[in-house]
Amino acid sequence: MENFTIKGSTYIPTVNFDAATGILEMSGESYHEYTIEFFQPILEWLRKYLEEPNRNITFNFKMTYFNTSSSRRFLEIFDMLEDYKKHKNGTVLVRWHYKEGDVDMLESGEEYAEDVDIPFEFIPYS
Amino acid sequence: MQITQNAPRFSMHKFYSDVRDNSVSLAFQGIMSQEVLSLIALALRRRPDNEVLAKRLFGIVVELAQNIYHYSHSKSYSEKDKRDIGVGVITIGETANHYVVNSGNIIKAHEADHITKRCDFINTLDKEGLKEFQKQVRKEPQRPDRPGANIGLIELARRSSNTLGYNINAIDAETSFLTLSIKIDK
Repeated sequence: MENFTIKGSTYIPTVNFDAATGILEMSGESYHEYTIEFFQPILEWLRKYLEEPNRNITFNFKMTYFNTSSSRRFLEIFDMLEDYKKHKNGTVLVRWHYKEGDVDMLESGEEYAEDVDIPFEFIPYS
Repeated sequence: MQITQNAPRFSMHKFYSDVRDNSVSLAFQGIMSQEVLSLIALALRRRPDNEVLAKRLFGIVVELAQNIYHYSHSKSYSEKDKRDIGVGVITIGETANHYVVNSGNIIKAHEADHITKRCDFINTLDKEGLKEFQKQVRKEPQRPDRPGANIGLIELARRSSNTLGYNINAIDAETSFLTLSIKIDK
């Protein structure tokens, strides 16, 4: 399967999904006006990628800001990963990177971790 | 003595007094696009002394702006988007102890009841209650023809750590003017 990439800008995130290594990374900010349209190809790629069982996936979450509409799309991604772990014998780890002291971003990650049954690792950076 | 020549109907003097008296540092009317928000972000987030506060303030502006963008009853055609976009007004001001972000836009009169109930309910919730309510609503299925996640008002209450201020004034039988006022402690 081809890799999936989006070059970020001020209001759209950088996306780097590496099909071979299973390292999926999103970074930057997300407050696109039409997040449903923006996330559509991301979710589409992921859906196809998760059709094959037994993959080992690391999701590197490095977002620094996202709006509520994006937060819903991220929940969809985590739901898909949870499903993959449960039903496709997948191994999934979310590595949630946040700037040291950014209590809001840490809390956002903790709330996802409470809501989905996949392991989260919280990694502060300075 | 009064000197007038081609005097505009809009009073810059009244505008000046209003923004000065309310310490408004930024006011924007029109299509609150993501490009405009990026510019506001540049201005707001030059706050290395308190990045968390700066980001909360920006987050509040984004949620208010995108509410207007998607849900304002008064619309303007955008060449870029090739569709009608909601318009309204946003101001950012400050007092000694707070930043205050206000948004104003026209809504349909029948929406007033829902918005009032929603704000009143949110204002009864404490920190933990807001978090749980937001998580619960975020899991609900996407509403048809509504691009948002339906959690913007909850987010405003959470990020501001204050109750939502709101005011709805009837314009005529069909439309009302909604003002949301979000206060965040410095």
